[in-house]
Parts: sequence; C-alpha cells; structure tokens
Amino acid sequence: MSFREKSAWISVLSMSGIYGFYFWSVIHSRSKGGGFHFGGLLGTIIALVVLQVVLTVAVAIFSPREAKAPRDERDKLIELRAMRVAYAGLATSVALACFFGAFNPPIVFNTNALLFILVTAEIMRSACQIVQYRRGE
Amino acid sequence: MGAIHNEIRRLRFEHGEMTQQQLAEKINLTRQTVNAIEQGKYSPSLEAAFRISAVFGKPLESVFHYSNDE
Repeated sequence: MSFREKSAWISVLSMSGIYGFYFWSVIHSRSKGGGFHFGGLLGTIIALVVLQVVLTVAVAIFSPREAKAPRDERDKLIELRAMRVAYAGLATSVALACFFGAFNPPIVFNTNALLFILVTAEIMRSACQIVQYRRGE
Repeated sequence: MGAIHNEIRRLRFEHGEMTQQQLAEKINLTRQTVNAIEQGKYSPSLEAAFRISAVFGKPLESVFHYSNDE
C-alpha cells in the first residue's frame, strides 16, 4: 500500500470518526433544545488536525522512503479524478440546497447542514482515491 | 477498445533482475505506478514512456505495443 493510499485511509477514517461524533452530538443536543456551538466545531477541527498529523507522522516513520517521494503523474491523475467526483457531489448538494431554499416558506440549510455537505464531499474525495489505488489504475 | 501492452517485466529481468523500485527511482515514479504500468492497468504519459525506454536503451515501440481489439 502506497503512502498516498495510507494518507487517504487516514483522511476517510479520521473524518468519518470525528465528524461522525460531532454530528451525532449536534443531533442529540438539538433534541434537547441546544443550538449551534462554535466551540464544539472548533474542538472538532483541532481534534481532526491533531489526529491526522499524528497518524501521518506515524505512517511516515514506518515508511520514510515512500513518504519522502513526491507525487508522481499517476498520483496526480488519481487526485484529479477524485476531485471531479467530489466536486460533482458538492455541486449537486449545493444545487439541492438552492432548490429547497426557493420553497415557500424556504427550507434553509443551517451551518451544520452545509458543513455536513462539505465533509461528505471531502470523504468522497478520499474514498474515491482509495478505490482507484485499490484497483491499481 | 485498444490496449497498451509492454515488455517491462521481461526487460527488467534482462537488465540484471532490476526491481520495480530501482526502475521507479530511475524514472521518478513510485514503485506502485511502475507495477500498475507493468500490469497494464495504467498507461503512462508519453514522457514517462520515453524515460522507461531510455532506461532499457530500447526504442519506444520495443517496450510498448498498442493493439486495437475492435
């Protein structure tokens, strides 16, 4: 497994876990009447960055040669394809948000819903990279 | 649809059992990419194809072949 694929796995697992916990907390706090907490989001982002840095450094320690190697043409192509898939998902979600916003009364997407769309697109991007690396394309 | 086949595996063997990693380092690609090229799962750029051919000292058409399956 290449360093780039390991990085994609780190991204998918850490984002799924940490943002999954964040959105689970948001849903539970909302059922109790709680609103949007910037502190909760900030803590989530810090936890995500710390976890990703620690895991990436750990992987780099065990395979230093691969970690130092620059991205080659196949890595860049895989990134571009994954970005295209993620962009399609993001654009579709934003278009749907605009569609629902045109209702009367409008269904307005709040901050957490928009964050969910962004996080999902990012997870899609990394997942798409993993699929391509697994298929050996 | 056409497919690109190559002789990289054989040429590596003929060049002192060169490993995929050694070839990858000579042409600035990763070992995984060399493996994908060798298995025909990834078609390299023209520049990479020329670099691979240069490593083995062979013309491009001796290393890569295109077959139209249609």
